[in-house]
Amino acid sequence: MHDIVDLESRGVPGVFVASSEFARAAEAQAGALGFPSVARVLVPHPIQDRTDDEMRAHADAALDAILAELTDRDRP
Amino acid sequence: MSPAPAPALPDGLAVIVKRDCATCRLVEPVLAELAAAGRLTVLTQDDPAFPASVEHDHDADLAVSWHWAIETVPTVLRIEGGEEVARAEGWMRSRWEALTGVSGLGAGLPEFRPGCGSLSVDPDRVDELRARFSGDRLRSRRVELASAEDEMEALFARGWTDGLPVVPPTPERVLRMLEGTSREPDEVVAVVPPDLVAGTVEKVAVNAVMAGCLPEHLPVVLAALEAACTDEFNVHGVLATTMPVGPVIVVNGPIRRRLGMNSGVNALGQGNRANLAIGRALQLVVRNVGGGRPGEVDRATHGNPGKLSFCFAEDEEGSPWEPLSVSRGAPAGTSTVTLFAGEGPRCVVDQLSRTPESLAGTLASCLRTVHHPKLPLGFDAVLVVGPEHARVFADAGWDRARIVEELHARLQLPGDEIVRGAGGIAEGVPEAFAALTLPKFRPDGILLVHAGGGAGLFSTIIGGWANGDVGSQPVTKEILA
Amino acid sequence: MTTVILDPTGERAPATRERVRRPPSLQGRTVGLLDISKPRGDVFLDRLEERLTELGVRVERYRKPTFTKPAPIDLRHQISITCDLVIEALAD
Repeated sequence: MHDIVDLESRGVPGVFVASSEFARAAEAQAGALGFPSVARVLVPHPIQDRTDDEMRAHADAALDAILAELTDRDRP
Repeated sequence: MSPAPAPALPDGLAVIVKRDCATCRLVEPVLAELAAAGRLTVLTQDDPAFPASVEHDHDADLAVSWHWAIETVPTVLRIEGGEEVARAEGWMRSRWEALTGVSGLGAGLPEFRPGCGSLSVDPDRVDELRARFSGDRLRSRRVELASAEDEMEALFARGWTDGLPVVPPTPERVLRMLEGTSREPDEVVAVVPPDLVAGTVEKVAVNAVMAGCLPEHLPVVLAALEAACTDEFNVHGVLATTMPVGPVIVVNGPIRRRLGMNSGVNALGQGNRANLAIGRALQLVVRNVGGGRPGEVDRATHGNPGKLSFCFAEDEEGSPWEPLSVSRGAPAGTSTVTLFAGEGPRCVVDQLSRTPESLAGTLASCLRTVHHPKLPLGFDAVLVVGPEHARVFADAGWDRARIVEELHARLQLPGDEIVRGAGGIAEGVPEAFAALTLPKFRPDGILLVHAGGGAGLFSTIIGGWANGDVGSQPVTKEILA
Repeated sequence: MTTVILDPTGERAPATRERVRRPPSLQGRTVGLLDISKPRGDVFLDRLEERLTELGVRVERYRKPTFTKPAPIDLRHQISITCDLVIEALAD
């Protein structure tokens, strides 16, 4: 999150991917950094015990959300 | 933090006391006499059990004391129709008897005892009380910083600083700042370029807090902003130009000394809070309220460090001449700001001239180089004459007008020296001027200021920006309370 | 205990930071994938790289030394001069 905030301040649009466990922490941290709209995409928890196939499925499932956060195609 | 409404007091008598005041304890028997005589409200500020012999209320949040402007305890108010019609502070038998209409009060007490300070004016509490009870005077958007957020970093992160840390503008600090002016917070001081936003007294106060100002500095900042936002000064142009200029503030009049401004050693440098904070506050208003930020509307090729803050006072006491402000038409004895669109200062060294003619020659030859020795008329300049140089002129009886006249006389540029190509330099005036003589400066284009430390045979030149209607005119404005 | 401060600006914009403007599409852009160095994150990012490459995106891979601290300034600088956009993953 700090990295994305910093990169955004350097003019690079960014998105941060975390597990759903992270949702509230991310909310709080974004607020604390004065950047409530910082882009983030959440994938289902847990992560550590997933098989490679399951991890790839997570990535496939998250791709659309990630693209939406990085482009203005869904924004006026 | 919603403001509390002013608490009403019932008609009759009201007395505000605190246990921590010997005079309040002394008059306790008098309160009992008044209670027996009729409608009496007693309010205690500190100990809810005091005064034990009289029915009373506790002004726990000091709302009554604050709103009724109690400065001393005990204070007796006479209330009629919900309004105060009379008050007495401290204990004085004759005053209390006249105000209450009850005679023979406080038998055995001395005739007179002064009171103590009301808790509502206690310096340790007053900021918080002001924020609680007058917070509704503030219109600015309130920004809540999360507890995890470093407030200094938060101000950097939001782009509200000039690159140095700023003082967080809490409501308490802003309200304290507003005590420095009699003007209302919602009064519009100026429409601030480039975004043409109404700059209210409150917005200026917010930025003055951030800049490190004290409340007594605020009137100077307000006057400087008004001057900057005139069509004549054209702060929009000053901001947008690629040249390295920014507003330079010269302060004249009694306020210089009241604020402890520096006009002496290192006058144009660091170290004096009033000089630095006032200049910085003006720039923060332009940045934050007006939206004028480097790289956006501010297109300066190089800029200069004075764009952080450039404000100093004229040394009037040591000056052989009338103040700059008076030479520009302000009445003697008034406090003014004079704004000049200036670049960074540079030094003129002349440690050998003992005659005014020789020194004028030195100053003129350096003034000739402002922006380019071959470019006449386009730019004004401030000449800050140091005390040791000023003395050379003063000993010879040269006054302000004479010095300026002698400088102009030495700054008549022969056309053939300054046309394009002359001296192997392409820059210059069109060939058509070759047969003419052109003055380096327009008649009022040299502003003489007396400032600096007592040792050093130096003066300083601050070159200007494009002058006249296309650029910026120096503007002098009176500082109002 | 939060601190309240007053907005010093002309209030033409929100008082918080806003996102950098996004491009209309990622086609032909360089996207940095920043691995925060937690286990399993690399598998996730490998797959993202495959998918993004299929979409005509140029991918640059980065990895920060530890997920416990922000990325070193040199790494952030490197990403900012090399990439048009960045994706950071994967925290749990």
